[in-house]
Amino acid sequence: MKEIKLPILPTTSVGSFPKPDYLIKARNQYSRGLIPYSTLHELELKATEEVIKMQEELGVDILVHGEMERGDMATYFAENLDGFAISGLVRSYGNRYYKKPIVIGKIKRTKPITVDMFKFAQSLTKKPIKGMLTGPYTIADWSFNEYYENKRDLTLDLAEAINQEALELEEEGAIFIQIDEPAIPTHPEEIKIAKESFQVATRGLRNFIITHICYGDFRPIWEELIDFPVHQFDFELTNNADKFYPLIENYGFPKDKYIAIGVIDVHSHRIESIEEIKAKIKEAFKYFKPEQIFIDPDCGLKTRTWEEAKAKMENMVKAVNELREEFAKEAYPTEITIKLND
Amino acid sequence: MIITVVDHYPKIPNPPREAKLRKAIHTYDQGKMTREELETVFDEVTKEVIEEQISAGVELITDGQIRWEDGQSYIARKLKGIEIGGLFRYFDNNTYYRQPIVKEEIKWKEPIILEDWKKAQKYAGNVPVKAVLTGHYTLARLSRDEYYKDLNSLVHAYADALIEEVKLLEENHVPFLQFNEPSIQYFPEDFNLFLDVYKKIRENYSGKLAIYTYFHTVIPIKERIKELPVDIFGIDFISRKENFEVLKDFPKNMALGYGIIDARNTKLETPEQIADLVKEALKYISDENLFVNPNCGLEYLPRERAYDKLVNLTKGVNLVRGERK
Repeated sequence: MKEIKLPILPTTSVGSFPKPDYLIKARNQYSRGLIPYSTLHELELKATEEVIKMQEELGVDILVHGEMERGDMATYFAENLDGFAISGLVRSYGNRYYKKPIVIGKIKRTKPITVDMFKFAQSLTKKPIKGMLTGPYTIADWSFNEYYENKRDLTLDLAEAINQEALELEEEGAIFIQIDEPAIPTHPEEIKIAKESFQVATRGLRNFIITHICYGDFRPIWEELIDFPVHQFDFELTNNADKFYPLIENYGFPKDKYIAIGVIDVHSHRIESIEEIKAKIKEAFKYFKPEQIFIDPDCGLKTRTWEEAKAKMENMVKAVNELREEFAKEAYPTEITIKLND
Repeated sequence: MIITVVDHYPKIPNPPREAKLRKAIHTYDQGKMTREELETVFDEVTKEVIEEQISAGVELITDGQIRWEDGQSYIARKLKGIEIGGLFRYFDNNTYYRQPIVKEEIKWKEPIILEDWKKAQKYAGNVPVKAVLTGHYTLARLSRDEYYKDLNSLVHAYADALIEEVKLLEENHVPFLQFNEPSIQYFPEDFNLFLDVYKKIRENYSGKLAIYTYFHTVIPIKERIKELPVDIFGIDFISRKENFEVLKDFPKNMALGYGIIDARNTKLETPEQIADLVKEALKYISDENLFVNPNCGLEYLPRERAYDKLVNLTKGVNLVRGERK
């Protein structure tokens, strides 16, 4: 049995941080063949150091490496797996575009994808860094498919690749492994495929498994979703709490699972106040025990500016610290212990 | 048969062509470009995408919705009573829209698409341009209602506001008007409400009126399509194969918008595959009642692939036309 001790209401973030201007410029230059990969990579490492430093200074409990090396969360994996080509630009919203992957052959993992960056980030801090993966269903759903006969075959091959990656992250010391599956709620009729592939992706893992799912209606899939093989669900709730909490009221939430609640809108420039964030967290106490709750933004912060991301995270951490003080005054436990079976 | 498109067209091309609009919006957002200059770029890009559609062989085109950030907020920003909120996922796509938040009584305050349509028709010359709006039912379903607190009132409020626009389009002799209503497929139980509102719209518009659906199944509403007072009803035959069941009983009193090109996957349909699908529809539907188009808007594809797909759509339809001569 392995035990992880954390302060109550552990603070974390979902994955991505904004890329500093010098990195955006370097990525652009690299894509036009003006600088070698080694130059780009040095700047990715530099930016990663800055992201780790920022989180440490703010006092975040579980860190992320910030995904400085990734463009889009699905495309990054596609770029590093056999069987994919990358298409032209497709708009995701507003003035934001991404290069959507195209499956053109059998999916195979031929090399580690995220392990080196995880190791580098973990070497910079004593706090745990999350291993960050995109789930097989989401990669499949967010890709064009010109090769596989059906989505299940594609998704299961992706699941094998993600499983190999997750096992290697664990070997390299990742205590927290997050597998993001934001596409799952969009196709309730495919929940069985999503679940089967998630089971494959997490096969043999022994550490703390998280899945982040956002921007969807969970009602039609809740019963299937709730027994996914994870320790923690991470949901975006800033604009969605009115739909989500009634679900918990009606169906409950497993006592042995943890929940990370998004309390920061990652798509608005406005910096949420400490009071506002505290109110959101307190609302969650009506539905979960404080010992079950982790606190984070709704989603990755990459679309904010560096200053906005920092200011938002800062208020989030401050709000949690004030709540911890309130707990201490009431002599409520201020630490949680997570037990993992070997 | 008429070759058409559903609504939007990819806003930016890929290298070596320049992503002019993306750059312009970015520059405008940084305060380094005036609104007037941005409007000029919108016009230039609209011209480009109109030319592309025509060159691909599309016979009834749209303005490509180049000015639209998404299907909801472009309309909502021009109505009174609505604020624009956070991002929400647009159905099952990795695409997001800003949620309209209804704060007060919804009122029409200024033309929404009339000027866009006029310009587009000018650029398009002899090729007809259809005016496209997101339907009031879908607008209502995709909004957060903090004022009416009742779907029925909200749908009617949106409809009453949009009818002002419909009247303007009528006065300006817009020949084709299409409402996109994907949401009705997800809530077939609201069909009566849906129908009531379209009766109101019909009273105010004498041109060709269309409703297009996409992404989902129409099977639960298939018996009721014939009640709708419209000239064209669009269905997505790619996202849900079971929609092919509709062909044999499709109402005789309207045309079908036959969505058979996958605008959400890059895999290119061949002209022969398209010709076969067209022939399948022609078994049940008369030539003049068939509009052939992609299953939904084209913005889910890279621009060049969208164009290739339209070219093959035209080739496929022309194969059938050739055989029937």
